[in-house]
Amino acid sequence: MRGVEDDPLPKRMKVSSGKIGGLSDGISVGEQGSCSLSGSMASGDDKVVGSNGLISKVEFVRIITEALYSLGYSKIGKHLEEESGIPLHSNLVATFIQQILDGQWDESVTTLHQIDLIDESIIKTASFMILERKFFELLYGEKEVDALNTLRTQIMPRNVNLDRAKELSYLMVCQPHISLDNSHSQESGLSSRKKFLGELQKLLPPTVVIPEYRLVRLVEQALDFQRDGCRLHNSVGEMSLLVDHQCGLDQIPCQTVQILEEHSAEVLFLKFSHNGRYLASSSRDSHVIIWVVNADGHVIMRHRLTGHGQPVSYVSWSPEDDQILTCGEDKTVRRWDIDSGECLCVYGKQNLSLLSCEWAADGKHIFTGVTDKSICTWDLEGKEVGSWQGKTTYRMENLGITTDGKELIIHCKDDGVVLFGWETYSQRSIEENQKITSFALSEDGKLLLLNLCNGDLHLYNIDGCLHCIGEYKGNKRSHLVVRSCLGGLKQAFVASGSENSQVHIWHRHSVELICSLSGHTGAVNCVSWNPANHHMLASASDDRTIRIWGFKQVNS
Amino acid sequence: MDADPAQFGNIDVNESDIHTIVLSYLAHNCFKDTLESFVSCTGMKQPVDHLQDMEKRKRIYHFALDGNASKAIEMTEEFAPGLLEENKDLHFDLLSLHFVELVSSHKTQEALLFAQCQLTDFGKEQKYVKKLEDFMALLAYDEPEKSPMFHLVSSEHRQNVAESLNRAILAHSKLPSYSAMERLIQQTTVVRQCLSQELGKDGHKPFSLKDFLRS
Repeated sequence: MRGVEDDPLPKRMKVSSGKIGGLSDGISVGEQGSCSLSGSMASGDDKVVGSNGLISKVEFVRIITEALYSLGYSKIGKHLEEESGIPLHSNLVATFIQQILDGQWDESVTTLHQIDLIDESIIKTASFMILERKFFELLYGEKEVDALNTLRTQIMPRNVNLDRAKELSYLMVCQPHISLDNSHSQESGLSSRKKFLGELQKLLPPTVVIPEYRLVRLVEQALDFQRDGCRLHNSVGEMSLLVDHQCGLDQIPCQTVQILEEHSAEVLFLKFSHNGRYLASSSRDSHVIIWVVNADGHVIMRHRLTGHGQPVSYVSWSPEDDQILTCGEDKTVRRWDIDSGECLCVYGKQNLSLLSCEWAADGKHIFTGVTDKSICTWDLEGKEVGSWQGKTTYRMENLGITTDGKELIIHCKDDGVVLFGWETYSQRSIEENQKITSFALSEDGKLLLLNLCNGDLHLYNIDGCLHCIGEYKGNKRSHLVVRSCLGGLKQAFVASGSENSQVHIWHRHSVELICSLSGHTGAVNCVSWNPANHHMLASASDDRTIRIWGFKQVNS
Repeated sequence: MDADPAQFGNIDVNESDIHTIVLSYLAHNCFKDTLESFVSCTGMKQPVDHLQDMEKRKRIYHFALDGNASKAIEMTEEFAPGLLEENKDLHFDLLSLHFVELVSSHKTQEALLFAQCQLTDFGKEQKYVKKLEDFMALLAYDEPEKSPMFHLVSSEHRQNVAESLNRAILAHSKLPSYSAMERLIQQTTVVRQCLSQELGKDGHKPFSLKDFLRS
């Protein structure tokens, strides 16, 4: 794509090609052979930049020049063009741009035809855009007669389609400020013309006109690449251009920041609310504690919910985080209000135990698993409104529900779980080759994490086709039920408690064990990662404490 | 199967009824002179004051037919004030007729100005917007009669508008807007259609005036 321009650059001509060279602007595969590589940044007559020989010096300088102009440094931009001898645009293109900005439409169309690098269809489209722009500006300038002439003599002969012709004609009669195309704003001021120029430039090939902010885009691509390669990446924000991005462990919550000692027996379960402002923990001491997470990250007790007389093993937050359900060994499920700490309702069935509980997505119903292998639905007042029983229900101690509320997750056998669509009666199942001890869902509802008998964790994608996307090893297990979770920026990490009192954290994509956090003096039964604060992790242990992990040292 | 012409003889048709039919036809189409001589030949009684109105109506009709819409509008306003306000569609058709005249005589600037003054008000109502777009598009073409909207420039269009105007004026003056002759032919056609629909392909052919006149 080399064309005839009216001022070829003398030094940069490719003599070997035999044509009069224009701006050397294509990808320089050919140039590689003809330049002298000398390590890093070349100077003088070298045609490439960088040690890989991939970057054409002319292109490089041009995008720097464009960046300078975009930033507003036009004096330096001009100076660079002069000093390097590499103009940003050829003279014709520069003339064209100036003509557009000055509103010299007919002249710009002529110039456009002279720029030889462009193919016919682009010239046609661009000319048409320019003539329409001329039409609109005349119309706003209240020069209707001129606008009409433009329409008749310049626009119509270009085989414009009938509907467009009707629209344009109609506009001449009905006042122009009624409903107009966004790209043609009312002022024919310079900024509006600049916008129009931007639209035109998108049509022209990048060799003719450097796309705006091209250098910025290239840098952003490099940053994306670095970020994707960063295993421990856990925060958003600016990335430095000065060094390659590589997070250290300083982005992972691995220091104990607070120890909560309010429970008087083993802490069996804990979970952050969906909005990350509260934490609920349940214990063998039969109490459930609601904690508040302050703005500074400090966690304080708010309510102690007593009522279950027996150990409480599970807590579920309502979709709006205003209530929780709790259940345990006392055979009932209780519903509590977070604000007041009051127990709003007790759910129970005669002669049967309710073993597990979850909220429906509408926040108006709850599901419970019952010892007779059925699942019951209840309304908020405590009335039973439905139940299922079937071959698929097995052990009812674990119950899960997908974020959209459409599928319940239940054990159908020791080594399998089924996703049961309670409205459609659909079933999707996952089978492992060992017993599944517990499971957890990601906050976005697309992933299901299974804890297995030997301590390994398996991660499944449940959004669409069910398939295993990760196996996390390193945890050993012999007899306890231990719970795990997903967390961090974009759910990039998997965390689990363990019998050896440590909290293990893996990187989700690379399945690598990143770190094991020590501190607890008893088995860690459950972990929860704050969905709103990627730097906060909580763990519940048999040593009767809850530890909050972060990466700032706070006096606790 | 067509009706047996032999049966026609059994029906008696009153002479004066036929005269009335012919008279209504002549009056509807403003054939004033013919009407006067017909009246005198047949000795029928006709109220004379209708003749003056008929003369005016005739002139209005011809102005519209020739495309001189502004004259037609002027006379209509004089003769039947309020008629055009009541018939907005008709008013629009007449104004656009004038517009078309201007465009056809290549007075594009005048046409543009006229449209901006007179026609934009109609653009506020959705049902006129489409029509307005079609008319405006005529401005974009050097040769409107060769454009996709050529039908708007044709004489058939003018005739339709002129006839609508005629009917509206008749209605305004509390006279029948369709002549009895026309009504009779319409009646026969519709009746035939119903019969053929009911009896299927064994029924009568649709009424064709040409065939009837030849038989």
